[in-house]
Amino acid sequence: MAQKYLLELLAVVAVLVFCGLFLYTSSTMEGAEFAGSDNVGSGLIAQLSGKSVESFTPLIPQYEPPSGEIESCLFALQAALGGIFVGGVFGFWLGQARREIVTENL
Amino acid sequence: MHIMEGFLPWQWCIVWWLIALPCLAFGVWQLKKVMEKDREALPLLGVTGGFIFILSSLKLPSVTGSCSHPTGTGLSAICFGPWITSVICAIVLLFQSLFLAHGGLSVLGANIVSMGIVGPLVGYTIYRLLKDTSVNIYLTVFLATALADMFTYVTTSLELALAYPAQVGGFGTSFVMFMAIFAVTQVPLAIVEGIVLALVFKYIVALKPDILIRMKVFSEKQINAARGEA
Repeated sequence: MAQKYLLELLAVVAVLVFCGLFLYTSSTMEGAEFAGSDNVGSGLIAQLSGKSVESFTPLIPQYEPPSGEIESCLFALQAALGGIFVGGVFGFWLGQARREIVTENL
Repeated sequence: MHIMEGFLPWQWCIVWWLIALPCLAFGVWQLKKVMEKDREALPLLGVTGGFIFILSSLKLPSVTGSCSHPTGTGLSAICFGPWITSVICAIVLLFQSLFLAHGGLSVLGANIVSMGIVGPLVGYTIYRLLKDTSVNIYLTVFLATALADMFTYVTTSLELALAYPAQVGGFGTSFVMFMAIFAVTQVPLAIVEGIVLALVFKYIVALKPDILIRMKVFSEKQINAARGEA
């Protein structure tokens, strides 16, 4: 039993440890803002080049989501698209496997 | 791992675009070949590509007090190789540059090189090295996917350190500073991603072993042994 579901168990443990780490970090670390590491990286670029973050302007004009709401909407859309592919294909495969069992029994 | 639009000097943007474009062209050519040869492989492409869409949209908190996202590229690299994977990554990264202001068109080349080329290439190399050994196939998938994730961020650090060497200590010092931001944040994420994708691979092995065997992802013996275990 434990052997059969070893990977599932490991995945659950890993996710739980990950959540625990987050709770620990967010409650003990001072100044932990959980901003994107992309932005932290941009801050370091500004520091290294001696310019302010604001002075970096896009080389090619780009659309920026007007608010965090719109941004999270678009990210959810991206994840949903992926989810449709993954769920759809697994369902298709399950159906295929079942059909094979049925035709074998005929 | 996104370098933000405007944060990379245009000379470097061109360098990374020049590296990315031939890899993408090769990927498109390979993808066309797979589509003509084996229609049954398309659902597998849907699953592995789907995970790139899902995982790269999840911003997860990490031990450094900042957030980062997994890449999900390892599974596709194992099944289809790094070049086809880079095409899927390019689609995701293009979407994010156009609509989400994550990355941008000028830095897209650099971001494709880190997430779509170097990461998958590292994952694919690990997989090829371990493929015909006695190492458990799920351990192989774990290592390949986790390291594909890690090396994406190592590459981002490298790209930024090359463009912004520190005044004292130069490239090396910068590289260490960028690694402290990108790579350290990524360690727990990469481990979780590796375990989750190994689990996903287990379900693919359970449902569609024939595709994996026909595409020679793993040998029939290895797949059957894994099915016996599971």
